[in-house]
Amino acid sequence: MSEISRFVVRKAGVLGAGVMGAQIAAHLANANVEVLLFELPAKEGNPNGNVLKAIDNLRKFEPSPLATRSKADHICPANYDHDLAQLKDCDLVIEAISERMDWKADLYKKVAPFLGENVIFASNTSGLSINKLSESFPAQLRKRFCGVHFFNPPRYMHLVELIACNETDPAILDDLEKFLVTTLGKGVIRAKDTPNFIANRVGVFSMLATVHHAQQFGLGFDVVDALTGALIGRPKSATFRTADVVGLDTFAHVVKTMTDTLPDDPWHPYYGIPAWLKTLIDQGALGQKTKRGIYQKVGRDIQVLDASTGAYRPSTGAADDAVVEILKNKNTAERFAQLHASNHPQARFLWAIFRDTFHYCSTHLASIAASARDVDMAIRWGFGWDQGPFEIWQAAGWGQVAQWTSDEINAGKTMSAVALPPWVSAAGRSGVHGPLGSYSPVTNTDIARSTLAVYKRQLFPDRLLGEPVQYGHTIFETDAVRCWHTGDDIAIVSFKSKMHAIGGDVLDGVLQAIDEAERNYAALVIWQTEPPFSIGANLKQTPVGGGERPKKSATGKWFSQIRRSAEASILKTARGVDGILGTQCAGALMEGKLAPIERMVEQFQHTTQQLRYSITPTVAAVDGFAFGGGCEFIMHCDRAVATLESYMGLVEVGVGLLPAGGGCKEFVLRAVQEAKGGNAFPFLRRYFEAIATAQVARSAEHARELGYLRSSDRVVMHRFELLSVAKAEARALAEAGYRPPLRARNIPVLGRSAIATITAYMVNMLEGGYISEHDYLIGRKIADVMCGGDVECGSLVDEQWLLDLERRHFMELLATQKTQDRIEQMLQTGKPLRN
Amino acid sequence: MNKQVQDAYIVAATRTPVGKAPRGMFRNTRPDDMLAHVLKAGLAQCPGMDYKSIDDVIVGCAMPEGEQGMNVARIGLLIAGLPNTVSGMTINRFCSSGVQAVALAADRIRLGESDVMIAAGTESMSMVPLGGNNPSFSPAMFENNENVAIGYGMGITAEKVATQWSVTREQQDMFAAESHRRALHAADSGEFKDEITPYNIVDHAPDLAARDIAIKSRSVASDEGPRRDTSPEGLAKLRSVFAVKGSVTAGNSSQMSDGAAAVVLMSESAMKRYGLSPLGRFVGYAVAGVPPEIMGIGPVKAIPKVLQQIGLRLDDMDWIELNEAFAAQSLAVIKDLGLDPAKVNPLGGAIALGHPLGATGAVRTATLMHGLRRRKKKYGMVTMCIGTGMGAAGVFESL
Repeated sequence: MSEISRFVVRKAGVLGAGVMGAQIAAHLANANVEVLLFELPAKEGNPNGNVLKAIDNLRKFEPSPLATRSKADHICPANYDHDLAQLKDCDLVIEAISERMDWKADLYKKVAPFLGENVIFASNTSGLSINKLSESFPAQLRKRFCGVHFFNPPRYMHLVELIACNETDPAILDDLEKFLVTTLGKGVIRAKDTPNFIANRVGVFSMLATVHHAQQFGLGFDVVDALTGALIGRPKSATFRTADVVGLDTFAHVVKTMTDTLPDDPWHPYYGIPAWLKTLIDQGALGQKTKRGIYQKVGRDIQVLDASTGAYRPSTGAADDAVVEILKNKNTAERFAQLHASNHPQARFLWAIFRDTFHYCSTHLASIAASARDVDMAIRWGFGWDQGPFEIWQAAGWGQVAQWTSDEINAGKTMSAVALPPWVSAAGRSGVHGPLGSYSPVTNTDIARSTLAVYKRQLFPDRLLGEPVQYGHTIFETDAVRCWHTGDDIAIVSFKSKMHAIGGDVLDGVLQAIDEAERNYAALVIWQTEPPFSIGANLKQTPVGGGERPKKSATGKWFSQIRRSAEASILKTARGVDGILGTQCAGALMEGKLAPIERMVEQFQHTTQQLRYSITPTVAAVDGFAFGGGCEFIMHCDRAVATLESYMGLVEVGVGLLPAGGGCKEFVLRAVQEAKGGNAFPFLRRYFEAIATAQVARSAEHARELGYLRSSDRVVMHRFELLSVAKAEARALAEAGYRPPLRARNIPVLGRSAIATITAYMVNMLEGGYISEHDYLIGRKIADVMCGGDVECGSLVDEQWLLDLERRHFMELLATQKTQDRIEQMLQTGKPLRN
Repeated sequence: MNKQVQDAYIVAATRTPVGKAPRGMFRNTRPDDMLAHVLKAGLAQCPGMDYKSIDDVIVGCAMPEGEQGMNVARIGLLIAGLPNTVSGMTINRFCSSGVQAVALAADRIRLGESDVMIAAGTESMSMVPLGGNNPSFSPAMFENNENVAIGYGMGITAEKVATQWSVTREQQDMFAAESHRRALHAADSGEFKDEITPYNIVDHAPDLAARDIAIKSRSVASDEGPRRDTSPEGLAKLRSVFAVKGSVTAGNSSQMSDGAAAVVLMSESAMKRYGLSPLGRFVGYAVAGVPPEIMGIGPVKAIPKVLQQIGLRLDDMDWIELNEAFAAQSLAVIKDLGLDPAKVNPLGGAIALGHPLGATGAVRTATLMHGLRRRKKKYGMVTMCIGTGMGAAGVFESL
């Protein structure tokens, strides 16, 4: 046999079933990679007892590391005493045991004899030196050794830092990078072998700077979190809540690495943890995992530690209105000028943490990263900032900020007195990111993006400030959609509406795109330039900021945020109604003029039917949220290609309505198909529940289980590869000689007995107080649509019959006072009404 | 007054241990196999009798479909190896099916049409869930409000009974804890030994490591339901499962169960012919209807009805097996009729021991017959509430 020329991971091994190891194994399983998870053998009972417990725990984690619960069944338990021989089949082994150099060294010696000769062996250390670690690795294998640093939680955090040791074969890094990007969907940054690598080095410094300045300005932790969260484009958990989530002991450990290994760093005096934090850790108050940390929850109240007294007080701190006003300014340069000029302690605090972070990043850029892009991307992908520190600096006005910083260094106001590096103030410098790439102080040039083949799959990669983007060539453009292509025969339609709401104008645009594709193109792809796929909301009704969360979540923030957003989806669906029905809806509704709304619903149904039956194949490329009408679009395309982090659901019931864009109809067709001539009721009942309880899928794989996606639909791990894969699917459909399916006829419906059976189920929910009378009415109407109306079981109907039922019941619900109350409350308060 | 031509005597009554459903020890044991087991075991307790003399086998089953469909009575008796001349029928009155079968069998003897009958019950709630595999309701139920309650789940009806009879959550949890306490005490003292015929469970599982079929068998002899870690405090922590602000929890409701029981009945002449002595005499049986939404109160109507029939008073009853569908309805019945709590379920009830729907009536008949004999008591009763709103009560005399 000749040597394999292409690196493939048929099987992977993960050593260490701690929090990170188990979750990395889970994510490998999410990506359909066979994985062995090793742990120490249990002292008694089943030798795999420890690892089985870890696998079982994965099912309980929030946010769930598993795309579906059953993924855990695909993690093979193993232990170091009995199963090391199985390592020889592993093409990739990731070590993720405790951060102890001696323990890791022992383990390496133990496993080395069992490794296959073509293995890539990578340590998931968060900060230990990869070169030091490599010394414990047999010399002949060192070329296949490197560091691969995942961020917690690894399913959701986009960043993976890839670190070579001196002997690492560059080719294996390229191989591993390809695997990490395409197979695991991660954003890879090549980091140098410096303590804590890039993201933690900068991110943790930023937190230390925040701690320092909070104390200087006398700001409470709750106030600091109010200031350093969404207001400045960072996760809502901001600084101290993030520390609680990460674990205060973990945070202290990462800080200690910096204390121990960076003695010459100008900021070394700040590499320590404050006394109050040490006290918390000594008390075992480690944050979320121990239910007490900087914050604690008492009953329903959140309390925050007061560092001056050591006691907890109610967490009520907020950003001052004057400062919020500054931060609302969309012009970054003006915003920074105002922060800098302000005498408000909160504004001065913010300026100080930005300034010292800029100072720190520019000083260390040469030693820690290949270019400024790597620092910014690492912070965005690893810490969830909307923009990296250099991007913010550049947007704020490079020279001006450099001047202010320099002045304040000279005035002794900064944390370190070290001067800014000369390149910062080089003549003509207006930033670090430009059309040619991002600046590297080492080469004194702008470094372009990686040219690895894997990145050709990213037609429009995550871009930095200053990087121009041109989405192909326009075919046509309206106020609501843009139809375009990338120089080939596949048409792409992207929505321009906020949150990619589907209004009448979007429907017109999609119909026009289908028409255009039928006449001139091989296929049509629906793809959005950024998530969500479609929230169904109308721009005009979306309150300021309310719609921003989904975008963040899709870039890899905590699932709790995603879940909150999913819950809030009902809210957006309320606006989605407006979106679906056009801006005149609200007025028309209140005036009781329902006819135009009914015409709009008809147009919606016409559009989804066109997506299904158009003569050219249609592909939905899905990322992020897809609710209500957005979900119905997906269900009607010939194929869906969805990123793993796609969250779909037919959530109309939240505002007292039912899916009327073909969603109910489509579920009926699927139930009948799946029953294959047998009893369709069990299938239909599951779909009924999905709609009646507004189930939102927690991953694309989960969407498949719930039935929003079909087995023929594809799941893509990397969101920036989505368009490329969707186009490939579209092309494959076209080249296979695509013909639309024949229109469904003779659909056997379950009829009146099945409606009664579903009703009996709901009667119990009603009697138990789980649903309201209006929920019951909505449920009965959904049942009526999905069972084909008050007809005998087995009656044969066509699609139009079901669509007419959808529309009729939608309109009837819309005419009820309680549905109108629900919609109105949603529009006005943003909170769902249970009536 | 006396309409019968002869008395019907119970000469044998036995049962399987009761397993938890759907993940208990009998999860892979078929209800027709369990039935065959108890038929054989019951007959084994009647040495010297001629099996051909069995006139009919009447089997109660509350969800007679799937594994317990196709007239499970006939299938079970054939599997048990009874002569194919012996007939069998499956009957269904939900939770009273088992004691209903006993009453029907007794009546054939009392009428003089038969001398030897077998009554039984079998139910695998692991294999055929409550409501069956494919429940389907009539649209007519929802065409007028009077009938909506037909569709109520049993838990909802228990909530309604709890409200109407003012049974508190605390009372229910106390009652449930007491059921477990009594059941464990009884099991520990060997009180169920007489009535249980141990079952040899055979399990066929793929052994993926060995690439072979692993056949494992083990004998089970005790009920799976009673929990030693049950306490009123523990029960108080459980959430209501049928209503948002309800009081009925998984802990104070009967358990879902698998099990079977058989009762051999004979006339006096048949007993003499085979030289057998009776455990007891069947005295009477009655059923009555109540509103479906408060089905749990059924015994309140059935108990006076049967006592009236047979001319006995409540005080004459030494032992009452009141099926604990829910603590709520049990307490409501006890309260409404003024039953003596000491006489009700002295060995624990369905909350601890389980409730294999259609088998329960026969299971508890076995408990009662052996219990009365051990404790040298005279009259006992098996009573229960029945879904869609009925109650049943059967009275037996120990001899």
